[in-house]
Order: sequence, then structure tokens, then C-alpha cells
Amino acid sequence: MAHRVDQEYDYLFKIVLIGDSGVGKSNILSRFTRNEFCLESKSTIGVEFATRTTQVEGKTIKAQIWDTAGQERYRAITSAYYRGAVGALLVYDITKRQTFDNVLRWLRELRDHADSNIVIMMAGNKSDLNHLRSVAEEDGQSLAEKEGLSFLETSALEATNVEKAFQTILGEIYHIISKKALAAQEAAAANSAIPGQGTTINVDDTSGGAKRACCST
Amino acid sequence: MWGGAAEPADSYYQVRPECTDVPKTRFKIKPGKTLSVRKWQAAFVQEGSLDIGKTLKRIRRGGIHPSIRGEVWEFLLGCYDPMSTFEEREQTRQRRRLQYASWKEECKKMFPVIGSGKFITAPVITEKGQPNYDPLVLQEINLGTNSNGSDFFQQLTSRGPLDKKVIQWLLSLHQIGLDVNRTDRTLVFYEKKENLSKLWDILSVYAWIDKEVGYCQGMSDLCSPMIILLEEEADAFWCFERLMRRLVLTLHIFSIEEISAALGDLLELKLNLLIWLQSLRLLTPNFTNI
Repeated sequence: MAHRVDQEYDYLFKIVLIGDSGVGKSNILSRFTRNEFCLESKSTIGVEFATRTTQVEGKTIKAQIWDTAGQERYRAITSAYYRGAVGALLVYDITKRQTFDNVLRWLRELRDHADSNIVIMMAGNKSDLNHLRSVAEEDGQSLAEKEGLSFLETSALEATNVEKAFQTILGEIYHIISKKALAAQEAAAANSAIPGQGTTINVDDTSGGAKRACCST
Repeated sequence: MWGGAAEPADSYYQVRPECTDVPKTRFKIKPGKTLSVRKWQAAFVQEGSLDIGKTLKRIRRGGIHPSIRGEVWEFLLGCYDPMSTFEEREQTRQRRRLQYASWKEECKKMFPVIGSGKFITAPVITEKGQPNYDPLVLQEINLGTNSNGSDFFQQLTSRGPLDKKVIQWLLSLHQIGLDVNRTDRTLVFYEKKENLSKLWDILSVYAWIDKEVGYCQGMSDLCSPMIILLEEEADAFWCFERLMRRLVLTLHIFSIEEISAALGDLLELKLNLLIWLQSLRLLTPNFTNI
């Protein structure tokens, strides 16, 4: 088989980009995966995805990011694409109050369709348009605290915090997974201390399982 | 020999100079192959019926000269019967323009921003039909006539709760606006605000007359060429209406499997086409054969 560089990674994490139409999801995606921003970008139809491989605590992580159309009527269809996602970036537009008010609906959407352990980061995008701001940063911060989400204000145009937002999500996912692996290791150690109890859990199997769970099939 | 060198068609659809990464069109006007103005005019017989067979053959060979695309498309999309006379077509055209004008008036009564040269990008009402007094909304619906947008809300709610159909329609208008703002924006054509609002008006009127489909992201991309090619707004509307009708018809004639097979290995396109058709409410949700 041909050697493929892009397959050399320790983990594959699927992340979904969600939020109202026009908040800048596609440009956040292109900024993170290609370091590009397009002022003339078109509205998204259906689902698009892109990947980027990055390092988290010495591990090679391949982030597979799914971008969906934000229009309400697409939701019923695209919610199927939350399956297997371990992270979500929930985006609103700081210049459009309504997109922030809808954050709760998107959270409900995630709770209904995504894995309950999904790592969620909320991003108030278009921070470069501070003069048109209609959502205070504190409002974003307090909602995030209330809902237990990470939070950052981003600007895909100026490349502010986009990298940080994804790195935070990926880092959190990685921690959850390594904690699980550690717990499994301890359980294995505990089990082996008590003779005759069950089978030993192999750590590699656990991480392998976690990896599979993240893959889209 | 005849003709001479092929001429690129880029000058007909001018791209804004700052947009440098727009790919050049591969279409070239080829003398003797492309359907020219002269050949097009010659394809009509006395009373006005069109030799569509010969015309189609030429179009397949060399495309259509950009200067006549609008009128040719009217035939290709089925706005007019090729066998009709000049006079019959003129009558149909006038009748349709009136029809469009009356629909547009109907929409304007419900929402005065229609036809005003402006458009909106934030939802004016909530899903329950309550006014949305967001400053951005008030600013967008302020037509400069009197005070601000609150007059509009007073009028809107004065006749009791809104009809469900009206709510649905009003809720699609800002989505159309969001997409108008990002449709073919590399073109010089859309530097003119009136062209943006034309696109918004047509899609808004369409959403009202076809409540089943309404508006779905992606439709602005289909409507845009009509506005570029046909000067009269009503004519562009009817081309778009025919296009949507053909799309529905195609789905009745061919199965999803056939369409899917025609798209070959273009998996992502296939997937998104199916998602899109489903969002248009033209497909039942249980498609499986991607």
C-alpha cells in the first residue's frame, strides 16, 4: 500500500461547527485548516469538512472538522452528522444579538443528538467588528460559565483566537481520553491485586476504543 | 478562414479587481460554433416560431454568446413555447409581469422593505410571531419615512395574531438577506446595491408564492444568474420560477439512484445534493442510497 503521510496520527477527533447562519463558521474552518479567510465566501449547502493535524502534549492529533449549513431547516438533516463527534465549536456573531440568543437552542440540539461527553467551546465570532458589537463579552462569559462551556471571542478575519479555540477543545478531549485510559489502568492494577477477579483491561485497547469512537465511519 | 480566434468571455461578467483568486472562465466565444446574435435571430421563422432543434445543436457545440444569454435561457428553461408567435410571447410576457407585480405588491403590504431597495439580515419577528425590537432590526426596517421601524410592528400586530404562513414567510426574509450578502460577491455586478435588493425581492416573492419550498440556502446561487442575464426583474423571476419547477420535475422523472449514478464518484457533491433536495422538502427524509 502507498505510504500516506496524513494517516500518521495518534488520535482522530471529530469536531462539529454549529451556530446560526452567517456567524462565520465556514471562515473559522478555513482559517484553522488552511489559514485562509474569504470575504466573498458563499453560504454553505449541506455539510463540508476539512482536517488538520496538530500536536497536543506530544501526541499527533488529526482534527476532522465538520461544517454544516446554519439555516433552521437544515438542522433536522444535519443533526445526523453529530454522531461520533467528540467536540463542538458553537459559534455566534457578536454583532447579532439573535445569534447569541439562539445558543441555548444549539445546546439543546447537541444534547439531543451528540454524545453526552462532548466537549463544547462557545465562540463569539467577528470580534474585529467591535464598533458594531451587540453582545458584551461578559454576557458570553457568564452564559458559558452557567452552561459549563469554554468560551473565547474570535475573529476569523484577523485570525484571533481561532487557533486557541481549537487547541483548547482538542486539549480537553485529549485529557478526557487520557484520564479514561488512566482509570482503566488503575482498574486493571486493582483487579490484578485481587486474584481471580475478571480479566485484565488492556490500556491500549481502551485508547484504541476511544479512537474508534471518534472516527466517522 | 471564417471566424478567427476564440474570444474569452470574462469581460461580460466582470470580476472586482481586488478579487484576484477567482478562476478565469473556460468558456470561449468561438466564431462559427457559439450561438451568435445573427444565428439566433435567423433561427426564428416569420411569425416568430423558433427552430429549437438547430439552436440546441449549436448551443451544445459552442455555447451561447453572452449578449443573448438571457433571451435564449427563457426558451431553454421553458418560459416560452418555441412554437409560439412573437405576439403570443409578448402577451405572455406582459401577463407575467403583471402577475409578478401583483405578488410583489402583496408581499410589500405584509413587509414594506420589499421593493424599497433595502433588505434585512436579522429576523424581524420571533417564531411565535412577536416583534423583535433588536436595534439592528429596527435599523434595517427603517425606511426613512417616519421615525423608526416600530411603526411597522404596530401595523403588523394591529390586526391580531399573525397567520402561521405569514410568520413562516417573515422568518425566511433575513435568511434570504444573509445569503444575498454572500452570493457571487466577486462580481462587479453586485457592487450595485439595487442588484442585491433585486435578488432579495425575487427570492422573497418566490418564498411567498411557493410556501412548500419557501427559501432554502443555495437558492440564491440559482437565482443570481437570472438577474445578471435578464434586465427586467419580473422576467428574471419567471426564469427562476421555471428553473425551480424543472428541478421538481426532474426529481419526478428520475429516481435518486439515477441522479446519484449520473454524479458518479463525486461523493461530497452527491451527499450535499441530497441534503439540499431534502431541505427543499422535495425529498422524503429516508434516502439511503448515497
